[in-house]
Amino acid sequence: MTAAVELEGLTKVFGDVRALDGVDLAVETGSVYGFLGPNGAGKTTTLRILTGLARPTTGSARVLGHDVVRAGNDVRAAIGFLPDVPAFYPWMTAPETLRFFGALFGVGGKELDQRVEALLDLAGLAGVDSKVGEYSRGMRQRLGVAQALINAPRLLMLDEPTSALDPIGRRDVLEMIGALKERTTVFFSTHILSDVERVCDTITVLDRGRVVRQGPIGEFKRDRGAARIAIEVDRGGAALAARLASEPWCVGCTREGETLSCAVDDVDAARRALPALVAARELGLVRMVEEETTLEDVFVELVGGAR
Amino acid sequence: MQGFRVFLVKEAREITRTWRIWVLPAILVAVGVLGPISALLAPALVESLAGSQPGVVIEIPEATTLDAYLQFVGDLTQIVLIAVIIASAGMIAGEVRSGTAVLVLTKPLSRQAMVVAKVVSNSVLVALSTALGSFVCWVLTVALFDDALVVEFVEAVAVWLLLALFFVALMALLSVVLRSQAGAAGAGLAAYLLLAIASGWGPAREYSPAGLVAASGRVLTGENIALVWPVVTAVVGIVALTVAAAAVFTRQEL
Repeated sequence: MTAAVELEGLTKVFGDVRALDGVDLAVETGSVYGFLGPNGAGKTTTLRILTGLARPTTGSARVLGHDVVRAGNDVRAAIGFLPDVPAFYPWMTAPETLRFFGALFGVGGKELDQRVEALLDLAGLAGVDSKVGEYSRGMRQRLGVAQALINAPRLLMLDEPTSALDPIGRRDVLEMIGALKERTTVFFSTHILSDVERVCDTITVLDRGRVVRQGPIGEFKRDRGAARIAIEVDRGGAALAARLASEPWCVGCTREGETLSCAVDDVDAARRALPALVAARELGLVRMVEEETTLEDVFVELVGGAR
Repeated sequence: MQGFRVFLVKEAREITRTWRIWVLPAILVAVGVLGPISALLAPALVESLAGSQPGVVIEIPEATTLDAYLQFVGDLTQIVLIAVIIASAGMIAGEVRSGTAVLVLTKPLSRQAMVVAKVVSNSVLVALSTALGSFVCWVLTVALFDDALVVEFVEAVAVWLLLALFFVALMALLSVVLRSQAGAAGAGLAAYLLLAIASGWGPAREYSPAGLVAASGRVLTGENIALVWPVVTAVVGIVALTVAAAAVFTRQEL
């Protein structure tokens, strides 16, 4: 099956700055793919190249099998795109906006009516009569997702779709993206880790124009970073923390009152030893929980460590 | 020219539903009203000013239809052309700056189609506004003076309209190249000034669009002037400037 997005050695140079430096990437068709990186990593530049707004300096970019430079028209006909700050014609209403974009795709008649109605429902904008110029940021972003779907795209590209939204706006947009799973391939750039954890199944981490790592999100958490085990005792937390620090499987131990958080490099050994150590000191074990490695831990390790 | 028709319809609707439907037509109507009225009142005004100076006697002829039309085309060449330049300056730069260009150009809309639709829609607005203003001027002139010089008046306005359309195409190119509404407006006004200066130089007046700058008044007064080359070069210039704007825009990164 053709990959939805394929980048090979993609490089983009602005003067002395290498915004992208030999990026290789393959987005599997049908996935919700997170394109993750700090601000300035090169995410937007990549999307601008994929949508034909910019050209690569070297390397190649293919979307749904089409070269983005040589077959830009074929690419644009098959994708939906939401820029980071979508700008609409302020004098149009939401239905007019969707009809205009639908007409650009050659969609018309009853089919366009049905799509507009469905997308207004999806965006929660059905019955909103005001002009887009009067919309809140969240409403514009939801309309942005809706316009990106007007052509029933095979690939939906979203550039930081939640970055400037309040929590409710973020939730709404993420729910819209979540609802698209299995309907289309979604390529989703962001620097908000919790958004990626919530909707993506595969991610690429980009930093300073280079791919730092890519793969399924679960693999990231499994392979990266020490596991943590939190234990809470009824007393003697300070002494226990000092004792745990000397254990060979303990990478580090922090304490807040009687609650200890231990970074461990051998989870099985820690699981067996911890209750025994607590019992040996005649302490009461109130709670023992394995803390899941978050994408934030992984991200900081991959990107933050290099800074 | 993928998407041309859809984008042109959008442009037409944008003109009718925003401030753009009021500004240029209103200026043209105002100029159309002021031309005949100021021509009518000018002698009385000058007489009253002269009368306030003891010992000064000025013989002022009665205002005529020609004076009314000359006043109108004079305003076209100065006030209205400057308004056209300023109003057209954001033709492409405005869409790029606001971010709407990014959204529409990631759809099946070619950049050539966008530029040509912009030039066509702005040209039609200028042409219809000119027709409206000219009609108002003609009605008032007939009411206040007589119905003479109609053919000359139409010819004079047509000559000015060609010059205005040349500037619309020039503003498309400047708007694309400079990527700034203010910058394009400044450059457009500078280009107008240069063309006006060039119109004082014989070869430029005879063989370039510079010959159109002062031609309207000369057509009205019945001067026998050769307009073939200014008209041909203006038409070729409109096409060339539009093609150049589309070519530059196609190569630009957004």
